[in-house]
Amino acid sequence: MTRKLRCHAIVLGVTVALTLAGCGSSGTPETSANSNGLEKTTITVGALPIPDPVSLYIANAKGFFKEEGLTVTPKIITGGAAAIPAIENGSLDISQTNYVSTFLAVSQGKKIKLVADMYQAAPNTFNIMVPKDSPIKTVADLKGKTVLVNNLKNIATLATTSQLKVAGLAETDVKFVEKPFPEMGNAIVSGQADAGWITEPFITANQSQHGFRKLADTMTGQTADLPIAGWMATEEWASKYPKTLAAFQRAIAKAQQLASSDRKEIEAMLPKYTKIDAKTASVITLGAYPSELNANRLQKVADLMLEYGYLENPIDVKSVIAAPAASG
Amino acid sequence: MTGARLLRGAIGAAGFLVVAELVIRFGVSGRLDFPAPSAILLEAVRLPADPEFMAGVGTTLTNWVFGLLIATLIAVPVGVLLGALSPLERAVRPLLEFMRPIPSVAIIPLAILLIPVDELMKISVIVYASVWPILINTLYGMHDVDPLAKESLRSFGFGPLAVLTRVSLPSAAPFVATGVRIAAGIALVLAVSAELLAGGFNGIGVFVTVAGSGNRTDLMMAATFWAGVIGVLANVLLMAGERRLFHWHRMRTGATES
Repeated sequence: MTRKLRCHAIVLGVTVALTLAGCGSSGTPETSANSNGLEKTTITVGALPIPDPVSLYIANAKGFFKEEGLTVTPKIITGGAAAIPAIENGSLDISQTNYVSTFLAVSQGKKIKLVADMYQAAPNTFNIMVPKDSPIKTVADLKGKTVLVNNLKNIATLATTSQLKVAGLAETDVKFVEKPFPEMGNAIVSGQADAGWITEPFITANQSQHGFRKLADTMTGQTADLPIAGWMATEEWASKYPKTLAAFQRAIAKAQQLASSDRKEIEAMLPKYTKIDAKTASVITLGAYPSELNANRLQKVADLMLEYGYLENPIDVKSVIAAPAASG
Repeated sequence: MTGARLLRGAIGAAGFLVVAELVIRFGVSGRLDFPAPSAILLEAVRLPADPEFMAGVGTTLTNWVFGLLIATLIAVPVGVLLGALSPLERAVRPLLEFMRPIPSVAIIPLAILLIPVDELMKISVIVYASVWPILINTLYGMHDVDPLAKESLRSFGFGPLAVLTRVSLPSAAPFVATGVRIAAGIALVLAVSAELLAGGFNGIGVFVTVAGSGNRTDLMMAATFWAGVIGVLANVLLMAGERRLFHWHRMRTGATES
């Protein structure tokens, strides 16, 4: 390269870098003009890129938050447990959480409130899967085998353990190993594990790519219709911003109703905030989207956690739920 | 870079891709759903037209540049100070030697806990990681200053400040530049790692996480490919800058073009 050309290359490079850097700052949320007397009109809400929090995106797209005078900026989080420090230090106002993480945190003295329901298991939404030619034919055959879960000591191990119990085994009869969902298929194919606790869209993907078969639906028996995920905030946040919380709750409930009554709404939204394509979205098995937090249903999760030693003391779920939204 | 060198490099890269393509398509790993290099490259070519990805690249680059800049502003003065005052250096050395090898990725969870503002948290992590190479290189640069030159200046009645600005700093500058170049690579790794571990509104790491949500290994690899390209470009750019600014240094030390 000549000297002149090299100079041009540097100038070009710097310009590109600066232009790109400029793009990043364009995403600042605008404050809503209609405040409805809310204490806070712009909130940041943490969500995983999975089907569970679809209502957040539906409520945004349909203007349900706008109607309440609320501007909601979704932020990608990496897990329910990781979201707890984020709501505690205020980098998130509200976050997606799984109920097992929440109850564990509450048992450790964290001041967290559940503010809305999100996702509930349905048949075949969380399955134990094995390769097509696997010698494992029943859950009892898992004795001594390695089972992949997305997180240890979480809903995955809890649900699997409840199935092991039915088959006469205990948690210690299998070896749980942590692995992110996208990597489970390859890990099992390459012999790193014998089975995996898998959810959508990976159930469908592993069926079509590897010919995996279902060994067991983990959401049956004790765990039938098990509540999976909800929205949480700190106790402090919930008491400091009651009107903002109520506005969020109303908009989310409306979106949950829409999601549970029309699957097409979910299918249309999934490709927009996840990389699940439209074709996959139309065939995957989805859970339920309840529009109100029900203490009795959630109590089942806490009770199971106590039964399987995830909790040392019982938790009264009512005390973890924030006061219900005023109807509006 | 000469044309012949470029050609040889291109042949090497193409050869690797062909072998990888064959292994993945027909080889032992045929049962895995690892995307072929051709599929990854195809996605990589499409990505610059994806506004979501480009917004992410913008955010990652911004955090990276700011992090590197702040690290330089911290590490260079501290390095010069420690290099100029050897008793101070001896006092601080053990602490430096203890903190330096701590894997920077391991402090990300701590940073998430302590720093509520997303960008600030990520920039802090980048700063922590990139301070060390710059600081250590600055120190080496200060040690490498020709004592004879310093003595000459002193014997002509110049004060310590003049010795610092006229001899020590110019002499240490090439080392500082090398430190910044090494730190740039580390800073990029941390910029993407912080996004992978902590999430965020957007960013290359956030894009990779979201790509995983749809089982899109090809997209994950394509985004990672661009992170690699950005790292290479930064290195080339900084190396060219070093060569222009400090060509006298290269001639003095007899270092060859690398």
